Amino acid sequence: MSRRLFCATIVLAAGVALSLRAQQDSANPNLLRFCPGLGIPCVEITRQAYDRGHEQFRQSCGFCHGPTAAGGNGGPNLIFSAVIRRDNQGADITKVIQEGRPDKGMPVIPLTPTQIADIVGYLKARVAEVDKTSGLRPSRDYDLKKLLTGNAELGKAYFNGPGQCATCHSPTGDLKGIATRYPPIELQARLMYPTGVRQDATVTDAAGKQFTGELVQQDAFDVTIRTADGMQRSWPSRTVKVETTDRLAKHRELLSKYTNADVHNLFAYLVTLQ
Amino acid sequence: MKLLLGLAMTASLLQQGVDTGMLLQRPTTNWPTFNGDYTGQHFSPLKQINTTNVATLKLAWSFQTHQAAMKATPLVVDGVAYFSVPDHVWAADARTGRQIWHFSRTSSGDHLASRGVAMFKDRIYFGTPDAHLIALDARNGKKVWEVEVADWKFGYYISAAPLVVKDKLLVGMSGDQLNMPGFLEARDLNDGKPVWRWDAIPKPGEPGSETWPNAEIMARGGGMTWVQGVYDPALNLTYWGTGNPHPVYAGNVRRGANLFTCSLVALDVDTGKMKWYIQTSPHDTHDRDANQTPILIDGDYQGRPRKLLAMASRSGYYFLLDRATGESLVTVPYGGQNWSAGVDERGQPIPKPDVEPTVDGAFFEGTTTNWWTPSFSPDTSLFYVNASHGFSIAYLMPNEETGKVEDHQGGGATSLWSESMLLALDYRTGKVRWSRTGTGGGNGLLSTAGGLVFTNESGHLVALDAASGKVLWHVNPGGSLTGSPMSYELGGRQFVLTPIDGVLYAWALPE
Repeated sequence: MSRRLFCATIVLAAGVALSLRAQQDSANPNLLRFCPGLGIPCVEITRQAYDRGHEQFRQSCGFCHGPTAAGGNGGPNLIFSAVIRRDNQGADITKVIQEGRPDKGMPVIPLTPTQIADIVGYLKARVAEVDKTSGLRPSRDYDLKKLLTGNAELGKAYFNGPGQCATCHSPTGDLKGIATRYPPIELQARLMYPTGVRQDATVTDAAGKQFTGELVQQDAFDVTIRTADGMQRSWPSRTVKVETTDRLAKHRELLSKYTNADVHNLFAYLVTLQ
Repeated sequence: MKLLLGLAMTASLLQQGVDTGMLLQRPTTNWPTFNGDYTGQHFSPLKQINTTNVATLKLAWSFQTHQAAMKATPLVVDGVAYFSVPDHVWAADARTGRQIWHFSRTSSGDHLASRGVAMFKDRIYFGTPDAHLIALDARNGKKVWEVEVADWKFGYYISAAPLVVKDKLLVGMSGDQLNMPGFLEARDLNDGKPVWRWDAIPKPGEPGSETWPNAEIMARGGGMTWVQGVYDPALNLTYWGTGNPHPVYAGNVRRGANLFTCSLVALDVDTGKMKWYIQTSPHDTHDRDANQTPILIDGDYQGRPRKLLAMASRSGYYFLLDRATGESLVTVPYGGQNWSAGVDERGQPIPKPDVEPTVDGAFFEGTTTNWWTPSFSPDTSLFYVNASHGFSIAYLMPNEETGKVEDHQGGGATSLWSESMLLALDYRTGKVRWSRTGTGGGNGLLSTAGGLVFTNESGHLVALDAASGKVLWHVNPGGSLTGSPMSYELGGRQFVLTPIDGVLYAWALPE
């Protein structure tokens, strides 16, 4: 398990913790917290304890059970083991390590109580870590090399050709240095559909008075804008005329046209805009 | 004293709770089961509240649970409403909203949702976050018995309301957090003891096992049964959808169709034996499960009466089948998608390999739905479903140290853009008759003989004209509709109940 994937898990766990307990643990980046499900207690462990237990596990158990406890050379996957999952405060795991399971070919593993405690801590964290991956997304430092499978020249041709990107964007203008402004994984998503783009609206009320500002919300019932003075104003949708400038309309059109190759080629091209 | 005792006995004889006959009727004064009746139509034949007067609908009462969002459909039997959130069940007077009793029990396990309770005679039945099944005395909320159905430490929990069928409770199983196989159990109504079990994932050598590469990956399972199924008493069959296979995004480690995940199955209610199946998303790699309510319709198809089953699945396809035989009549997409290359001879979508999640990201377009109970109106012949159309990019993410897919997800996705909507489909063709955008987003639907559809739109609770989709009534209730609306008549007055976050609201016409 690399640091990279860890970061993803920490961010995710912190998000869950926030919603569950309304408290943040980002103040302590050394504390790993794995929350396996809504209402199931989170498992907390320091990064050092996790790494120590992981290393001990690799040395003493990894040959048979795999370096991450997911099964290996003849030994079962321990993440889904009933002994691990039903263990009470380490007692059951300790017993298996100290006495072995001769009937199943597992020898006694000679370890000190401290070493055993490290392994117990790692295994419990590992179970919670694997259980809580629902909604997993690549982390912000997802490796560029993994994403860079397209052809930049073809991407450039798409940009200037069928994608019609050049009608709004310029590699020497708004997109200059774009590759340095976002982590690669974000750049890939943003090139298809950028988030946080302001939409403007002009509202004309029944008396003909016009209000212009940032569109906050518009639905069948109400329209809300934020005017230049920072205030929000709303009207019943049926009483006003609303004109919006949709800066993302072209992006939405393209969404129904992209192939995987288009996406990866465009990405490869944008990465050259350093 | 004798006279008083006699009166009390008469009263208790009159109030016997749910019986089989009640479950076979259209729901009017009672709403005795999750979908109102066995058809899954989630339709009320009441018409006191209708297109001409719904604009005057008023709040009749509200019930504050002080708990998490209620994702349940309430029951109403003999003037009492029964509803739940994880760890809690309430009974309240369905006329006033006053609490009659409250049962609570702290439990371990996943508290994602309780989708409601079941009732038979004077017992209330429900599942728990730690995968236990509990029976309460409906008169006072006292526990009668409790049994364990599965071990929560392996990620199992029960969110679906049990389905009462004959002398059994059909108990669906939830559990998305883990690589464990899904199943459906029939339990004895009297004591909760197991009667039969249907496993969604075959054992090596069994039919369906040939659609998995090996026993090891097959054991990682999926195929949970977390949305209540439906029942046809004449055919003696119960119909359930199953969840997606695991690891969710890593199709590369489980080549094949992966039966019986993402499938709609017809089971004999006496034995649990499967009579037929259709897979709504073969070899699924985008969490397009079949955990949607199938709807039983006795209607015309191509000029002759048929016993039909209709389902708008999460795969974005609408299915119409002969429910006796499983014969496929219609399979059509109900919205934009890029993952399927057409339909096979069994009426199943054919997945395209190039949308499977990859390390560098695979572009995906889909139209989808979820547990959001659909509704069918026999009056309009329309099948109403809350849906969502969107685009995402999905990644295959093996463990970096071992290169293996070790967790149950195997990857993840970034949503690029999506839009929720309500679709009214012609049940014979699956074609969209009308639609609204901004509607739904996490709730079930109710249609009524008053010509109405109740749902959520842009934070408003709305009543729509069932024929056209026009808004006839709306109110901002200060929260989202989180469960499914239902309706009942009490004392000559029609009520509509709507779970809004942790509060249950009852709506009625002015007295």
